[in-house]
Order: sequence, then structure tokens, then C-alpha cells
Amino acid sequence: MASGSLAGQRNRFARWRGLAPVGVLVLLCVVITVISPNFLSFSNLVRLLSGAAIPLVLVMGATFVILMGSIDLSVEGVVALAAVITSMLVLNDFTSADLGLLAVPVAVVAGGCIGFVNGFVHVRLKIPSFMATLGFGFAGVGVATAILGGFTVRIADRGFRELALGRFLDVPFSVWLAGMAVLVAWVIQERTRLGRWVYAIGTDEVTAKHAGVPVERTRILVFTLAGLFYGLGGALAAAQLGQGHALMGTGRLFTTITAVVVGGTALSGGVGSVLNSVIGVGIVIVLTNGMVLMGIPPYVQQGVQGLMIIVAVALALDRSRLVVVK
Amino acid sequence: MATPLLSRARVQNALPVMALVVLTVIVGTIEPTFLAPANLLVVTADTMTLFLMASGVTFVIMLGCIDLSIQAVASMTSCIVAAMLAQYGFVAVPVAVLAGALSGLLSGYVYVVLRIPSFIATLAVSGVMTTVAYIASDTRSVPIPAEARDAWLFWATGRSLGVPHEIVVGLVVLVVLGGVLALTPFGRYVRAIGSQEQAVHASGIAVGRVKILAFALSGTMAGIAGVVMGARLGSGSPTLANEFLLPAIACVIVGGTAITGGVGSIWKTFIGALTIAVVRIGMTFLGVSVFAQQIVFGLILVAAVALTMDRSKVAVVK
Repeated sequence: MASGSLAGQRNRFARWRGLAPVGVLVLLCVVITVISPNFLSFSNLVRLLSGAAIPLVLVMGATFVILMGSIDLSVEGVVALAAVITSMLVLNDFTSADLGLLAVPVAVVAGGCIGFVNGFVHVRLKIPSFMATLGFGFAGVGVATAILGGFTVRIADRGFRELALGRFLDVPFSVWLAGMAVLVAWVIQERTRLGRWVYAIGTDEVTAKHAGVPVERTRILVFTLAGLFYGLGGALAAAQLGQGHALMGTGRLFTTITAVVVGGTALSGGVGSVLNSVIGVGIVIVLTNGMVLMGIPPYVQQGVQGLMIIVAVALALDRSRLVVVK
Repeated sequence: MATPLLSRARVQNALPVMALVVLTVIVGTIEPTFLAPANLLVVTADTMTLFLMASGVTFVIMLGCIDLSIQAVASMTSCIVAAMLAQYGFVAVPVAVLAGALSGLLSGYVYVVLRIPSFIATLAVSGVMTTVAYIASDTRSVPIPAEARDAWLFWATGRSLGVPHEIVVGLVVLVVLGGVLALTPFGRYVRAIGSQEQAVHASGIAVGRVKILAFALSGTMAGIAGVVMGARLGSGSPTLANEFLLPAIACVIVGGTAITGGVGSIWKTFIGALTIAVVRIGMTFLGVSVFAQQIVFGLILVAAVALTMDRSKVAVVK
């Protein structure tokens, strides 16, 4: 039957498209190894992994938001605020606090609070998510700057910095932590109702609502969840850099969104997964590392990432579902 | 039937102006020197760069889209003009503005032809433009020599009859773009597409071309804003306009242009820009730190969007 074969073709195409990001990642690795054999050395691989830790944590949150067909532009604000809060709670030169590792859950909860506000305002005031998160993202940077007044907090707590510098089996703790974040996100996606609801909302929100999915509650919950992940990302950033200041989030939004869309999660919602985003982070990190190994100046990266977003979205967009693009 | 005195549309039209007047009076009461004519001139001149950025993006927002690349474009053109002015003279200005226009054209193309949602398309283009800015400036802040500035950028930073030229530039833009939006077919199409895109498409108008043109206009105005900003500060830098994205969009929304498209005008954006300026100065008088002001702008933006948005137009808010 004609329609049957068409559906078959579509399926085959979809499967091919699903594997494309993995192919790109492998191809990138091969090309970079040929140009610079150093790429596969153990120390470079560890460097890659520790560079991937924070982006991995951040994309875990952003993926769920994008799977719903929404967007979260507050990444930088939340990361900055969480990093500043963390740096002020561990042993530092700005406050007299010394909470040690307890600062991490505080930062995570703080991130979750901003996420909750994002979701609550987006849902209750019926404001598009990009506007709500743009506003609160800037507000987050504002709060971080207002607390410090342009000051940079230096972290003196060696124990806390072990989070990023300490190693288990030769791999930094931050990488293990990121791995756990991925596991948690994967379990949420695959094994919980929340995960199924996210896909239902992203595929067709109106139908999902009719089918009894608590759309509003799910949306608020997902934005909160995203905030929790960003909060963890901020704490890790503080541990990695050993400081806290209001511009700690700069550039994080770009990397996060690039990784999610390059991994194959569609901005229109419903298509993709947290594992796609893991591949996406791989692509972004490997490419960045490759450019460094090839001696390309770092400021070119943002431009390359911008082009990657355009290409990836253009390839992945399921245009049959879009009538009017805004 | 006559429109009732307090119809929703009338109230929404009058609200931004009333807000501006009330805020000005409040700030004037706290700090009487604020209302001195000389001070008002300075305040208005300071606001014009923001208005220039916001004026172009008004067209994009009226389509129901967004342009998140204007701050990157303005930074880029400030670098271009700073890098070229001493050597090439006035040619640097059209080149910089053209670069802004091309960036807008690229955003429009990516959005319309590749059908990528505008906030992602412009976010991606902003990354590309930031890289261009770094290349143009060799990754540092580029000073504009005072002689070169006085020779070629006097139209932007000078004073005639006691009036700062920024205000003249702003008023010219207000009149020209206001005219374009209100009187030309292009302006009519922009308004129509924002209200009911499919109907406009069905009536045979090249919707895509109008949209691309609107993004190009937004890029052009951001480009001009970058040149004026660079001229005022006496240097260009790849991060010069970074803090201006949020206030610029806030100007448009606070003025009463709805992000759902269709409703809006350039003078509303002008009022919005002045309102944002008065709020900023009011906060400074009250001792709110410059850093904390971003919080207020973020909240104002969200509140203004919530007030002006036409929810009957969007079935599902994503």
C-alpha cells in the first residue's frame, strides 16, 4: 500500500535522523584524531570529560523544557546566582560562613526556586516561556551582581574544591556527579509519569490536556526541575573556578541550547531525549577541544556554535507540524 | 456605535503615557533638579541610543517575532566603526550600518527560509556576530580618536543651538520609521501579518519578504545604535551593548506594543524608552545600585508582557 510504504520511509528516515548525531560525534573524533593525534591521549580525554561535566548537568534540565516545546533562557542567570550563593556559603574571603559541601544542596534549591518562579509566571500569567525566562534570567544576574556589587568571591575551602579537582579512578568527581545527574534525568524521563507527561505535552498539548495530563502542574514542575539542575551546575562552576562572581554564567546558555538541538531534540517538542543531549554535549565539547588543539582562537567558538544551532535546527525541524513559525 | 470612554483599547493606549507622566512627576518630587530643562535634555539624549535599538525591533515584535541579536549587532558595529574611522573617515559609518543590515538580513533569512523560530534564529546569529565583533576589534576595546570623532561623528555626538544631536537623530528616526510603519504598504503588511498571518498570506502578499525586510530593518537600527553608542563612549568593544538587550525589548513592550503582534507603533516605543530612562534615573536617585537595576527591568518586562499580551491569539502558550 502506498501509505504503508510512505510510513515505512518516514520511519526509516526518522531512525536515520535519530542516529545522525552519533555519526557526527564519531566523525568529529576521527577527523580531529587524524589532525592531532594528541586528541586520544588519556590526559586529553580526562580534560574533555571534566569540560563536559557542567554542560551535561545544565542540558539535563534544559532538555525537559525543550521536550515540552518551550525554552529556558534563564540558564546564565541561575548558574551565576547559584555559583555566587555557593561561594558565599563555603569558606571564603567575603562572608564568615563555612558550610562546606552543605552549600551544594542550598545552591540546588536556590536554582529550583528560580525555576519554580519561571514556571509559575509562565503558566499562571500565560506568558511565553522565552519571555518569562529571559526576564528572570536577567533578574538572576542582577541579584548576583547586587549581592556582590562587582566583587569576586574567592573560595578558600579545599574540601569543597575537591568536587572539581579531586579524582576517583583518575576521573574528577564532577564528572561522576554529572553522570549521576544524567542517570537521574534518564530515570525521570523513562520511568516516571512526569517523563511521559513531558512527551505528551510536547507532542500535542491540547490532546494531552483532554487525556487528563495535569499540563499546568507538569509545566511548573519541569521548569523547577530545570532550575535544580542549573543550581547544581552553578555549584560545580564555583568548585571548578574556585570563585563566585556575577558573570559566571556567561556563555552557558549558548552551549546548553547548542548541545540540546545538536543532539537531535526538536525545538517543536515531543522528539528527543536526555541521551540525545548527552551526545549533543559530546559534539560541542569535542569540537571546542578540537578547535583548541588546532589553534583556532577561542572567541570563534560562539560563532561556530551559532552556525551549529542553525544547521541542526534546520535539519531536525519537523516542518509538517508547523503552520506559522513565530 | 461610539467607543466607550474607558474601552480596553483606549485605556491600553493611554496607560504608557500616563505611566511616563506619573513617574516623571514622582522622580521630580524626589529630586527637583531632575525637572530642570537642561537635565531633561541630557536625560533624553542619553535615552536615544536605547530608542534607536528599540525602534527597529518594534517592527519585528509587531510581526509577533523577537530579535535577540540586537545587542550583539550593536556591539559589532561599534567595533567596526572604531576600527575603521581613523583610517577611512566617514566611509566607516555606512560600512558599519551595512554590516548591521546584513546581520538582520541573515536573521530574517534563517527565520523565514529555514523556518527556525525567531528567538533561536536570532540567538544563533548573535553568536556569529559576537565572533565577527571579536575579529573586527582583535578581541579588545578599540578607542575612537577624538579628532576622528569630531570630524566624522559630529552628527551623532555634537550639539547645535544647545540641543544634543542624539535627540535630533532620535526624532528623525521617530518620524521616518513612524511614517514607514503608519503610511507605507510595508508598514501595513507588518501590522497585518502580526494580526492574522494566514489571511495576509492568502491574499497573495509575499509574507516572507516582508518579514525578512523587518529583520533587516531591526539589524540596521541596531547597527546605527552601535555607531552612536561607540561615538558617545569614544570606543568600540565586542561587549559594548551587552546590557542593552533587555532594556530595549522592555522599551517596546512597556510602550504598549504586544509581543503577540499586530498592535504597536514607533511613538509607543519612544514613550517606552523615556519611561525606562525615568525609571532608571529614579532608581539611581533612590540609591538602587546600577547592578540591581537589571532585576527591576526583568520584572518590568515580565509584568508589561503580561499586561499587553493578547491571549485570544495563542491557543497554547509555549
